[in-house]
Amino acid sequence: MNPVPRRISPAVLAEVLYLVNLLLAPGLAFLALLVLFRRHRASADALTRIHVRQSFAASVVAGMLLVVVPGLIALTGDLSRPGIWTLLLLYFVSCHAGLVMLGVLALARALAGKPCAYPLPGALR
Amino acid sequence: MKYQSQAVAKPYFIAAIGLFLGQILFGLIMGLQYVVGDYLFPAIPFNVARMVHTNLLIVWLLFGFMGAAYYLIPEEAERELFSPKLALAMFWIFLVAGAATILGYLLVPYATLAEMTGNNILATMGREFLEQPLPTKVGIVIVALAMLFNLSMTVLKGRKTAINLVLLLGLWGLAIFFLFSFYNPANLVKDKFYWWWVVHLWVEGVWELIMGAMLAFVLIKVTGVDREVIEKWLYIIIAMALISGLIGTGHHYYWIGTPEYWQWWGSVFSAMEPIPFFMMTLFAFNMVNRRRREHPNQAAVLWALGTGVMAFLGAGVWGFLHTLAPVNFYTHGSQITAAHGHMAFYGAYALVVLTMISYTMPILRGREANSRKAQVVEMWAFWLMTIAMVFITLFLTAAGILQIWLQRIAAEPMGFMAAQDQVALFYWMREITGLVFFTGLVLYIVSFFIKGEEARAS
Repeated sequence: MNPVPRRISPAVLAEVLYLVNLLLAPGLAFLALLVLFRRHRASADALTRIHVRQSFAASVVAGMLLVVVPGLIALTGDLSRPGIWTLLLLYFVSCHAGLVMLGVLALARALAGKPCAYPLPGALR
Repeated sequence: MKYQSQAVAKPYFIAAIGLFLGQILFGLIMGLQYVVGDYLFPAIPFNVARMVHTNLLIVWLLFGFMGAAYYLIPEEAERELFSPKLALAMFWIFLVAGAATILGYLLVPYATLAEMTGNNILATMGREFLEQPLPTKVGIVIVALAMLFNLSMTVLKGRKTAINLVLLLGLWGLAIFFLFSFYNPANLVKDKFYWWWVVHLWVEGVWELIMGAMLAFVLIKVTGVDREVIEKWLYIIIAMALISGLIGTGHHYYWIGTPEYWQWWGSVFSAMEPIPFFMMTLFAFNMVNRRRREHPNQAAVLWALGTGVMAFLGAGVWGFLHTLAPVNFYTHGSQITAAHGHMAFYGAYALVVLTMISYTMPILRGREANSRKAQVVEMWAFWLMTIAMVFITLFLTAAGILQIWLQRIAAEPMGFMAAQDQVALFYWMREITGLVFFTGLVLYIVSFFIKGEEARAS
């Protein structure tokens, strides 16, 4: 078993910021994650490097999935039709919940001192 | 098993599974009645099927909690159960009372049942989930008190751990809050106000303590992680559950005639209610990631992780979805509530009971884990039921969104039944996924009969 870090490591912080970006402070937490990413993306510590790169890339993909895709649905669909609203809300809720769940799994891995891999396209390895 | 008296858990678990099967069968009947209105009418009217479906849910979960407690408490307290005979006697009383109640629902008109069972002496019937006749309610109290006496005496004479104390606290809370089912004021606002003290304070209060304790117990056993680590998590989780859940009751008070301030209190505190479920998921995965052993019962590990995930999604996410007062203004009493109810009950409580059964039943049958073959079938059951429940929830959510639009947002709002007609497609899809769920449950039962060589730790 890997040793459990005593202080909040950049790996854990990165995953926390990924979740905060989704749940509490979208945008603001992303900026903090960006700073963390720039500081630790080439870290000598593999665990830090993997979590920081993964959570940053996953945040970018999450932003696309939660902003761009619903935006496209709203722009191309007729919002006076209830079917479009049903699709839009169902997509947003399911997608958001799924992304949060991936973040929880990644945070659990970071807390246990283990690497993670978001199953998202474009995630940095 | 470490203590012979833990064996009393077995009949409780068997009864729980049998009643679970009954619950799903009535769910399927009711699901079909949503789209084929006169299906099985007048033999099983919709209101009766619904009552049986929800009451069986409560009763099988109570059987599961009791069985789990009779297994867990002696092991944590490191001594035999105070009175195994009392536990067995209570099992038979509860089973006979439960079966008689369900038969009463099915065979006697509800109003007649109320007359026959003394509802004129103390009127407690006719309220959703608390439809049980007076003698059944009294029976539940007797069974619960006898169980609490039995378990409390065991803990008092034995080792006190965070897990058995949290479980006991949850079970005491369960019994105490059930007493409000006997209080039925004539004023409808007061009636609903206190009705939630049973329903909400059970599922979003004390049951979370029971769930947390059971999950912590199984995680200690299957991961080998230090008890101290798991207990710290448990303390924080139950603190958050109570901080958010108690005043979170306010989200039921928005539109029942209570003061307006409940819209603030309810919104703010129930917005925090996903936190304990979020922590439970993190807790379960963190413990499994830090495990010190590969337990041979991998099916139990899967059920435990599934509990975390599905509880967070069903109770946390789908609860938050419609908990804020401005949103709830539109969504209350719609199929969104049904979507949340299905996934939350399955994720938080059905799964945690199944986790306990999965971990304990092989031990109660004399082995650490079932054969690999039996576990594979059990895991198939998990995935079939869980994926089916995800889709049931999604279809009901879609039905709910459409229903709200048609009934409450459209320029010319439709009536309830006209809107129901428009969402029938989603009800059909829900019924089909219900059949998948049923298949999963049948596989789960089949897994108990699959023999083979006991699985060993890898």
